[in-house]
Amino acid sequence: MTVLELRDVHRTHGSGETVVHALRGITLVVHPHELVAVMGPSGSGKSTLLNLAGGLDSPTRGEVVVDGTVLGECNRKALAALRRRRIGYVFQDLNLLPSLTAAENVALPLDLDGVRHSRTQALDALHEVDLDGYGDRFPDEMSGGQQQRVAIARALIGERRLVLADEPTGALDSQTGEAVLRLLRSKVDAGAAGVLVTHDARHAAWADRVIFLRDGIVIDTSGPLDQPEELLHAP
Amino acid sequence: MSVKHGLLALLERGPMYGYQLRAAFEASTGGTWPLNIGQVYTTLSRLERDDLVRPLPENDTGQRPYEITEQGHAELAKWFSSPVSRADRPRDELAIKLALAMTTPGVDVRAVVQTQRTAAVRTLQEYTRLKTKADDLPWLLVLDNMIFQAEAEVRWLDHCEASLARYEAPEPVVTDTEIEVPR
Repeated sequence: MTVLELRDVHRTHGSGETVVHALRGITLVVHPHELVAVMGPSGSGKSTLLNLAGGLDSPTRGEVVVDGTVLGECNRKALAALRRRRIGYVFQDLNLLPSLTAAENVALPLDLDGVRHSRTQALDALHEVDLDGYGDRFPDEMSGGQQQRVAIARALIGERRLVLADEPTGALDSQTGEAVLRLLRSKVDAGAAGVLVTHDARHAAWADRVIFLRDGIVIDTSGPLDQPEELLHAP
Repeated sequence: MSVKHGLLALLERGPMYGYQLRAAFEASTGGTWPLNIGQVYTTLSRLERDDLVRPLPENDTGQRPYEITEQGHAELAKWFSSPVSRADRPRDELAIKLALAMTTPGVDVRAVVQTQRTAAVRTLQEYTRLKTKADDLPWLLVLDNMIFQAEAEVRWLDHCEASLARYEAPEPVVTDTEIEVPR
């Protein structure tokens, strides 16, 4: 069972002499319980990859499959519903609607689908990210780290099993950023699948796999060793 | 850092004999710096020679504990109050390797950079995995030190890659001493 599949995905912008090949044949499979980090210099295609995975953009060639559904075969309405129900996003900023409380922000994807008792689910989700008692606070009454935890709660509410994170710790200090990554990691360990775009190797290191992009292609992949303790005795 | 100062710091907690010192040393570095018992006793005899520790009477099991002296306290205080000099650290093989790669014909420098970066990120992943299992603050801080060093390496490699992308290699200089190959 895979949550996300990119099958030989290409994305070009423009045409003729000004054509830009943002992605050139990316194949990627992400399973439940798996966090994949994407690293690469500016312009390497990281954000394009995330936008395609989230159905915010369409490939020029190839297929994107989320939870068994080929996004290219969906009409706009079906795609919007799939994005709402299956995919959560965590961005560096502009995460939360400022005029809604934390609980309302988290419940929003459920409310749009007419789900009953969305507030109860939202409060449960806030409890899971250690934000009991924060449900009625507005984003500007919370710290950056707390807001990002609200965003993670919202990203994985309901039946959502895929979280796409774009530099989620960008504006946070080292300790708070690490707390956000620990939370993302624990959500993935509990069964979600995640894709994390980052330029920071220390953050990418929380992933099970790190893929390196350059000029729209995967140039290398790093998976973990089986026995990390061996490193400590390396000469 | 020297083993000498490590042992002095441990003896500051109270008298210990060789095997206790070895176990405490390894525990405080999370096993990253294994010591053999011979190193411990050699170091203890040097510390004793320099009046930084003194032996106590043997215990019932025949082990001889050592305690720190006044001079030892002073030496330890001096060590803690002095910065670690970068000049004491060995030259970085990676920096030299990359400089040589740039001037050696036929070497794909970007591939050298990427190979090293993948290895450094892999190392970072493993340290991070160990970190999720750790709950002892001194050991966590040792791990963080290794994490930050590996991260610094990746950042430097990113910088190298960006610099290489803008770099135009100079034309090779032909010197008088170049050897002509006879036809």
